[in-house]
Amino acid sequence: MKVKVNGIELELAPGTSAIDAVFAAGSDVPYFCSHEYMSPVGSCRMCLAKIGAPRKDRATGNWVLDEETGEPQIFWFPNPMATCTTAIMEGMVIETEAEEAVKAQRGMVEMTLINHPLDCPICDKGGACELQDRAYEYGEGISRFEFDKRHQEKHHQLSELITLDRERCIHCKRCIRFFEEVPGDEVLDFIERGGHTYIATVEEGLESNFTGNITDLCPVGALLDRTSRFKGRNWEYEHTITSSLDDASGSAIVLDSRTGRLERIKAELNTQVNKLWIDDSTRFGYEYVNSSERIKTPLIRKGDNLEAASWQEVSEFIADKLAKLAQKEAAIVLRADSTLEEGYAAKNLAKILETGQIDHYPRQLASVIPNNSASLNDLASSDAIFVIGDVSQNVPIVDLRIKDALKGVAPPEMFEHGVPIADLRLKERMIRKKEILTVAAPYNVDLMRHAGQAHIYEANSEEAIFKALTKIANGEDSSVAAMSNEQAEALVKRLNEANNAIIIYDGFSLASPAAAIAARNFANAVGAKEIILGQMANSYGLEAIQVLPSHERYGYAEIMQGSAKALIISELNPANNSQYAQNLKELELLVVHSIFENETTALADVVLPAKSGYEKQGTIVNLEGRLLEVNAAPIDAGQAQDFEFLAASIIAALGKEGKEDLASLAHKAIRKQFGVDSKKLDPEGDLKPLKPRANNKAKLHIQSTNIGNALIVPTMLRLEYIDKNPHLLAERGAAKLTMNSIDADANGLKNAEIVSLDVAGIKRSFSVQIKDSVPAGLWLIPALPEQAIGLLELDRASLKKELEPA
Amino acid sequence: MMDTKIQAFFADKQDLLSEILERYPDYGQRSAVMPLLRAVQDAERHVSELRIKEIADILGISATAVKGVMSFYSTYHEQPVGKYHIQICSTLSCSLAGSDEMYDYLANELDLVNGETDKDGQFSLQKVECLGSCTTAPVLQINDDYYENVGKKRCKHLVDSMRENKLEKPWRERKGDHEGAEKAKPLQKTALKGVS
Amino acid sequence: MDNITSRHDPRFEVTMYKYMGVENSHKLDFYEQHGGYQTAKKALTTMQSVDIVNEVKASGLRGRGGAGFPMGVKWSFMPPVDGRQRFIVCNADESEPGSTKDRFVLEDDPHQLIEGMIIAGYAIQATLGVIYIRGEYHLGYTRLYDAINEARAKGYLGKNVLASNFDFDLILHRGAGAYICGEESALMNSFEGYRANPRLKPPFPAQAGVYGFPTSVNNVTSIASGVHIIAKGADWFKSMGTQDSSGFHHVQISGPAVRRGVYEVPMGITYREIIFDLAGGVTEPVKAFIPGGSSCPMFPFTDEYLDLTMEYGVVAKAGSMMGTGGIILIPEDKCIVDALANVVHFYAHESCGKCTPCREGVSTWLPKMYAKLLAGLGESGDLELLEDVSHNIRGRSFCPLADACIMPVQASIKHFRHEYEYIIEHGKSMYAKKSRWQE
Ligand SMILES: Cc1cc2nc3c(=O)[nH]c(=O)nc-3n(C[C@H](O)[C@H](O)[C@H](O)COP(=O)(O)O)c2cc1C
Ligand code: SF4
Ligand code: FES
Repeated sequence: MKVKVNGIELELAPGTSAIDAVFAAGSDVPYFCSHEYMSPVGSCRMCLAKIGAPRKDRATGNWVLDEETGEPQIFWFPNPMATCTTAIMEGMVIETEAEEAVKAQRGMVEMTLINHPLDCPICDKGGACELQDRAYEYGEGISRFEFDKRHQEKHHQLSELITLDRERCIHCKRCIRFFEEVPGDEVLDFIERGGHTYIATVEEGLESNFTGNITDLCPVGALLDRTSRFKGRNWEYEHTITSSLDDASGSAIVLDSRTGRLERIKAELNTQVNKLWIDDSTRFGYEYVNSSERIKTPLIRKGDNLEAASWQEVSEFIADKLAKLAQKEAAIVLRADSTLEEGYAAKNLAKILETGQIDHYPRQLASVIPNNSASLNDLASSDAIFVIGDVSQNVPIVDLRIKDALKGVAPPEMFEHGVPIADLRLKERMIRKKEILTVAAPYNVDLMRHAGQAHIYEANSEEAIFKALTKIANGEDSSVAAMSNEQAEALVKRLNEANNAIIIYDGFSLASPAAAIAARNFANAVGAKEIILGQMANSYGLEAIQVLPSHERYGYAEIMQGSAKALIISELNPANNSQYAQNLKELELLVVHSIFENETTALADVVLPAKSGYEKQGTIVNLEGRLLEVNAAPIDAGQAQDFEFLAASIIAALGKEGKEDLASLAHKAIRKQFGVDSKKLDPEGDLKPLKPRANNKAKLHIQSTNIGNALIVPTMLRLEYIDKNPHLLAERGAAKLTMNSIDADANGLKNAEIVSLDVAGIKRSFSVQIKDSVPAGLWLIPALPEQAIGLLELDRASLKKELEPA
Repeated sequence: MMDTKIQAFFADKQDLLSEILERYPDYGQRSAVMPLLRAVQDAERHVSELRIKEIADILGISATAVKGVMSFYSTYHEQPVGKYHIQICSTLSCSLAGSDEMYDYLANELDLVNGETDKDGQFSLQKVECLGSCTTAPVLQINDDYYENVGKKRCKHLVDSMRENKLEKPWRERKGDHEGAEKAKPLQKTALKGVS
Repeated sequence: MDNITSRHDPRFEVTMYKYMGVENSHKLDFYEQHGGYQTAKKALTTMQSVDIVNEVKASGLRGRGGAGFPMGVKWSFMPPVDGRQRFIVCNADESEPGSTKDRFVLEDDPHQLIEGMIIAGYAIQATLGVIYIRGEYHLGYTRLYDAINEARAKGYLGKNVLASNFDFDLILHRGAGAYICGEESALMNSFEGYRANPRLKPPFPAQAGVYGFPTSVNNVTSIASGVHIIAKGADWFKSMGTQDSSGFHHVQISGPAVRRGVYEVPMGITYREIIFDLAGGVTEPVKAFIPGGSSCPMFPFTDEYLDLTMEYGVVAKAGSMMGTGGIILIPEDKCIVDALANVVHFYAHESCGKCTPCREGVSTWLPKMYAKLLAGLGESGDLELLEDVSHNIRGRSFCPLADACIMPVQASIKHFRHEYEYIIEHGKSMYAKKSRWQE
């Protein structure tokens, strides 16, 4: 379709909004209410332009021509039009700089500001405020409004994480629309009407996993991130764009740091992965990095104490010890959110130490690499989705992309200026195609609210469910736990007939190799693609590059049970498990790479300060098989280093340095394995899904437990840091032990009561949460990194009440 | 006082509840939010936070959404209105018929300001916008009923009868279109097309 | 009681308002005795739905809710029947100041509206109808509620209406005090249980209306007119009024008229006839009249305007709108700034707050400016500022509510600029406040 913007002719697809035509032409028009990825609503009236179009004669079907020029005559709309809600038409003429358009824009800036406090000097948004910028560019500079401004609450705490300044709000409705349109949680709304309208919630706190996004999208300083309030001015921050290591999505984020401290995390655009959204754990779960309790120097054991030392000193100490070991006596364990570079470094170190005792954790028994992998954008345009497990807690972004699919609008085509500013296919309160989504889980999971069908099955019946569904897919009779025959058949039929069917499963299925195989077979049988939710940011990558034991005797659990004489372990705290602690004490060498002191550092011979995920440089592979860059922000972490540095120091101290350093080895290995240059990754990552290895060296040997009375469940919070993330802790509370009221009554427990419990050797403390949607008899326990998701047998006698609820 | 648990409003009104819900199709149950609010308001003269939550639970939507809807309208109240909720239309036609003076009179007489309820919960006084009774202005709405053509005498009479708890239902104010035929003059200026 | 005489021109037969004010006219028995539901029967059993649409189209009936869009044409915008639910919505929110015509039908002849809804539903093949009645119309609500139950019990509503194989039922929904709910898309939001902000158009109701289904929204007297058009034919309807504006309409006269009230009149009648013949003239000198509800720009009370015929095109050409036919007379000694402050207050109170010009301009800035003028604090430049801000609001808002406020403001400045200038210069109104409250 041809349109003309300020004299420039363009050819654009039908359905394009006039505002995108304006930007496509390289022109500009101000806007506040429009937002990429949300429905255009036309409420701020800022994007006004003079618009006209030619008209066809009803009778002849020909263009009505201008008598003088012989060209099609342009019929101008009588009033300036909001470009965000106007679809282009053939021959449309859009003028943003016409006198009447400019006058209209000025008038609108003036009206937008009449009730705005103009307190930019004390506003956290100052310097990064759409209103401030647009008012300068398009306003008159003066206001003729001489009356008292509307006075409203200045610091209204919407939650522990978000504060609202009602005077600054310009009623663009982005925040309200966000909650309804993106996660589907209507927790915020306008109250009152007309000039009295304000934003509020009457729920306690904002019950959603994605609340922080409203602080990014608020065009003014009305909604602010409480973790970063008054921490710095926007122009003082260093902005580092990176991928989050919070979960397996690898969501794009910006790290705002200043004077060596990380002060804020914001979402960054990755059109393929998280679009512009991140969950609250990814956003607010960073405060721990600024903690004064961080280990900042290497420490070496002197008797009962750990004393500061240099990297050189400790490396030599470690090398000395390691040199005395025989083959296969050393063990290396990385946490599953370590980068590929750290993984290769660990592998190289293991090679030099001639040991196959190497692993990453948490890692389940089955592979997290799908056979027939779906991307997140595939997911967003899927027409049949079967989820088994708890997506929303595991990888919240997957939850959001499923919700994209429910709207039935495929990811938008890009413009040169980026994501369409006004995607006219998006509407407020779109009818969601719930019927395309089936969710099954051993308890009531959040996503079930949005599903056409939801089934709660008995924990650990994943294998049986997948097998039975496969039978049905193959035309055999079968019955599926927790589903009626019609439901099961309808599900299979829908998946079978869909163009883009996707099956999503997580740790519950991976906990049992047989279940994982059954899941794959079912996906095959119905021709569905798979998305597998690894428990951590680089679960996929570390498996792909085989940071895995050479033999089933050498896995994480075996190592912790005494298979090695020396252990180098990064960012895990196995000694929180009393059984493991015993074994760890017997080691000849325990090297612990850690951010904080914990039970394991207490046993260590050497403690090395670790970098957080915001301080590392490297590469990860997210759950789609997308290679993503991880970049370091300038955070003062003392002498903290990543595992690559640690391995290199030890190798150097061992005198085993090769021709090439570890970094270039990793760079080459990545190129070889994934076919990409890890130094030149696309800003949105490179999608290079692999196939699972047929001969996975880590044999799937451990039989999963079939019985149990508790389920380790995924949690979006990184519980290992939660007590050092004060805002997140205040909002989300301590780790929850969730159970049915029958169990609570049987144990004399009340809601919010604090209890401690021995969870398979780990003493943990919880706040009790009673939910009757949890099957009786099953207790839910949120996972720690040292505990892979799955069923376990709990010693309920170990339960102790710690405190009465406040 | 005692920690008495307040009973859910619809707990003993299941018939009313299902009658309201059944008005709307299955996919449109959210439509019931206004009638549910109205049912509570009619009975309790306001809708409390507790009732908002109850309605939210009935409809499976957030309490915020219910509050958002409720606060949009001017006839739901967060605080109880009096036994006699006197609403004075103050829009143009009524104002041209003296509603401002009527307001002054009532405010003075009842010692209330706009939006106020007396401490006994007897009277509330509220200025409202056009009630659709412009041709019989000025109009008072007392609770649900319209009292039209309210002159000074009648206004005083209404106040007295409310005070004595003897408020009568309004008589039909409306002069039907058939009335006053005798007063009608045939139209003179224009010959109406097609009328013989 | 059949031959009710009217204060109308005896040559004109009152149709829709025939039984207004008659005892028990709201009861089904009464309605049936006077030929009730016979037209629905005729429509459902002897006519195709397209015939009804065509008949209404041919009648030239234009929507009586204000905008005057031809009802038959609107109906023909409904997409082809495709198995989806379809809705006919009756807009009984009547809240435009000066308007009170729908209330008479709702209270005194609810069955007429129900019959109209059945016919309209059948015409557009909608099996569900919604009547959205403003919350304050309590009597109308109860009468309609009872009438619907009566009709349902008698088989006029429900499955297989009048043994015609057509199913039709009604949902009666009450508003709760918000003028914007009269705007059709806000009405639908309100009905669906959302905040009553207007929706973006397109999609229009015919494409995606109530619950996203094809919908037609029509005013009470538009729907009720349908009954008579089908009963007596398009030609009969067209025999009244003019080419541009056929049929009859209801004028409502308020302000200082001798006989304030609602009159059923043929279109094309002059304002002079309405005010002087029907309403019996004025009780005090009048300087202006609003022709169709407060959102319509006022006309000076001069021969030029009094002789305008009540036709959509004619009134529009003269710079105002037919609106709902709610005529408000403004007395000579009513300060125009005061009168407009009242009008502005109404729209300020009723703004939904969705868009900037309406929320900040209409709902916030304008009432403050008027308050300043009335307080005698006006300064030179204030009138120009008022004009410029009005200009910046008009035509830029999301829905027509802001214009509904601005147009009368601009008209008042146009015709009575001197009163604004006076109040600014002298710090007080040109006319002292005067008591109009009757004994
Ligand atoms: C602010 C606003 C208020 C309105 N109020 C009413 C109303 O109270 N009653 C009504 O019938 N139409 C009202 N309308 C017009 C409706 O939007 C719609 O055009 C009408 O109901 C269609 O019916 P009709 O074609 O029969 O007139 C209003 C429009 C606007 C913009
Ligand atoms: S709080 Fe911010 S995002 Fe929300 S409506 Fe106000 S200005 Fe818009
Ligand atoms: S109206 Fe807000 S961006 Fe167009």
